[in-house]
Amino acid sequence: MNLNELLPSIEPQSLYAPVMAEIKEIKRLTSMEVFYRIEMPGGEDLGHQPGQFVEVSIFGVGEAPFSISSSPTLKGSFELGVRKAGMLTDVMTRLQPGTKLGIRGPFGTGVDVEKFKGKDVLIIAGGIGLVPMRSMINYVLDRREEFGRLIICYGSKSQKDLLFTDEIAKWEADPKVEFHVTVDQGGESWKGNVGVITTLIPSLNLDLTNTACCVCGPPIMYRFVLMALKSKGVSDESIYMSLERRMKCGVGKCGHCQINSSYVCQDGPVYHYPNLKNLQEAL
Amino acid sequence: MVQFYLDAERLPAFTAHLMTQKTVIAPHAKGQKSFTFETVTEPDQVVLDYPRVMQSIRKFFLPPREELLTFDLTENSYEVTDVEPVNAIFLGVHSYDVAAVGRLDYNFSVGSPERNYLTRRQGAVFIGVSFVPDAYHFSGSVNIRPEDATGCDIFLTKLFDGYVLEVHTEVGEELVEGFDMPAHDAGRPTTGHFQQHIDVPQTKLSEIMEQSYDNAVWEETAEQCVGCGTCNLVCPTCYCFNVDEAVDVTVTKGHRERHWDGCMLRKFSEVAGGEVFRESLASRQRHRIFRKFKYISDTTGQPWCVGCGRCTAACPAHISIVGIVNRLISDHGQAVVAPI
Ligand SMILES: Cc1cc2nc3c(=O)[nH]c(=O)nc-3n(C[C@H](O)[C@H](O)[C@H](O)COP(=O)(O)OP(=O)(O)OC[C@H]3O[C@@H](n4cnc5c(N)ncnc54)[C@H](O)[C@@H]3O)c2cc1C
Ligand code: SF4
Ligand code: SF4
Ligand code: FES
Repeated sequence: MNLNELLPSIEPQSLYAPVMAEIKEIKRLTSMEVFYRIEMPGGEDLGHQPGQFVEVSIFGVGEAPFSISSSPTLKGSFELGVRKAGMLTDVMTRLQPGTKLGIRGPFGTGVDVEKFKGKDVLIIAGGIGLVPMRSMINYVLDRREEFGRLIICYGSKSQKDLLFTDEIAKWEADPKVEFHVTVDQGGESWKGNVGVITTLIPSLNLDLTNTACCVCGPPIMYRFVLMALKSKGVSDESIYMSLERRMKCGVGKCGHCQINSSYVCQDGPVYHYPNLKNLQEAL
Repeated sequence: MVQFYLDAERLPAFTAHLMTQKTVIAPHAKGQKSFTFETVTEPDQVVLDYPRVMQSIRKFFLPPREELLTFDLTENSYEVTDVEPVNAIFLGVHSYDVAAVGRLDYNFSVGSPERNYLTRRQGAVFIGVSFVPDAYHFSGSVNIRPEDATGCDIFLTKLFDGYVLEVHTEVGEELVEGFDMPAHDAGRPTTGHFQQHIDVPQTKLSEIMEQSYDNAVWEETAEQCVGCGTCNLVCPTCYCFNVDEAVDVTVTKGHRERHWDGCMLRKFSEVAGGEVFRESLASRQRHRIFRKFKYISDTTGQPWCVGCGRCTAACPAHISIVGIVNRLISDHGQAVVAPI
């Protein structure tokens, strides 16, 4: 482990230098969430997989990780969905199109789409978990013939917290998408399901031999979704989970994102569930 | 390998000889009982007989605060901050601290090799010195002896009134060139015995940890631990960091900097929404100990604790890392009777 022996073989990288990318479009999704479409210099593609993330920074304010919400099939720009949670995200909500942000990434391990090809795809998204899952959803929609059924279960706090409502309307109208939605708290104008996301699972009609499932949501959700999927007979091997941890560097150096021995920014955020079983801190 | 005899009285002259070649960084006394590595300006201020320095030489390669880039808010532009190689002779480093640098080398070159650390690290030359273990050292238990010269270009082993000076590399040969010393051919002594021991050979530790995830010791230490993070701060192999922005008073310019962080601090694992993934002090203590003896070790085959004893010596709650590890061992009936 002598560095002088190692050095010739390593090419040190300037890991913390962002690329300045321009916000092309901003849309309010809810009172708390904002949508951004961002263009890299020269309209270059990010070259990401669904489920990967970028580090976004504003000088003088800070840097934070955000999942890439658009599918790699979207060319020329990429999209984010950001919830107001603190300093950086608050400043972000007040930006105008044309502003440039610092972008590093894409980072992490996303969904291995090859493993999903030819299969029925089941997406389970709670709250802001729809933001990363939308990347996979749109990927499947854009390459529809490569996948089997597309089943989406989405849970939200209330009707006014629903994200991407215009896209939801399209999914609901699409005969090739099985879209199920529920809210924790119903209201007068809400005609749909009321209850937590796990209530959507028992009545799903799944081909257990040929379904791959992707789960993303708030920390509390995973254990319950897992129980519901298992009692449905879904095998461990067909489950993928996207986890969130605190992240600073995104490149396996700062230590913040660790779950036991695993760096979420490297091995995750999307994990194959069998690999999570020996990480006691994961779920 | 050649051996010389360096008379203690000639140490300042030897230091001065080194200073003609490169910057020399060596231990200096700071107050009554503290010692710290600093750039040498007066050769006779160098102290080679010291129990341990507060901060290991990690601080030169991974500074407590380090500017990553500067930005201009009016232009919304930035420049990556230049990093210079430290390019110095580190004189008088203990074997465990040299070993710790090797651990950091691994962390910063594995995966995405990091320019900042690896650039600073260039040109560093190590002149080790043997030490007499005190009440906290236990590096022998992780196979790092006081007279272990691994990673050193030159190594000094203390005799009564002088040092056996061994030249281990070509770089070392160049350093001593032109400095007259008598040859030494009487071998070198071992320098004392450890008072602190881990009760199993190092190779067994990973297996012990494997069985200790739910040990009661985590909860028990949590009752004393105040979560101050001092143990992280003083550890020569801790490398976790946070990143912050600093804006000048003019609000037109500023910089992004990283600073040392510690997994014993509550905020370390907190995310938006308020979830703290290692909320209990017990889970944080386990994480710290597992980072030293299990997680990276399972991949590299080496413990990430080098047995310097700093975390124990500095802990306000008197939590002993050797105490924790030995407790895990005894709970599994694994202790070997004769300490190594
Ligand atoms: C892989 C990944 C993907 C994410 N994707 C999205 C997304 O698509 N949309 C979205 O809105 N949010 C996402 N987040 C969460 C997002 O990173 C946080 O909301 C953001 O860091 C808050 O920054 P802030 O400066 O606004 O908050 P701060 O003012 O820094 O703090 C507000 C809260 O956020 C926590 N926090 C601070 N830094 C981090 C950090 N680096 N990581 C996580 N939490 C932090 C603080 O502990 C505090 O509780 C993702 C996080 C990760 C790890
Ligand atoms: S130094 Fe001691 S009290 Fe402070 S966090 Fe470490 S173990 Fe706990
Ligand atoms: S864990 Fe404690 S004894 Fe081990 S290297 Fe770190 S500070 Fe030294
Ligand atoms: S985010 Fe820094 S190590 Fe993963």
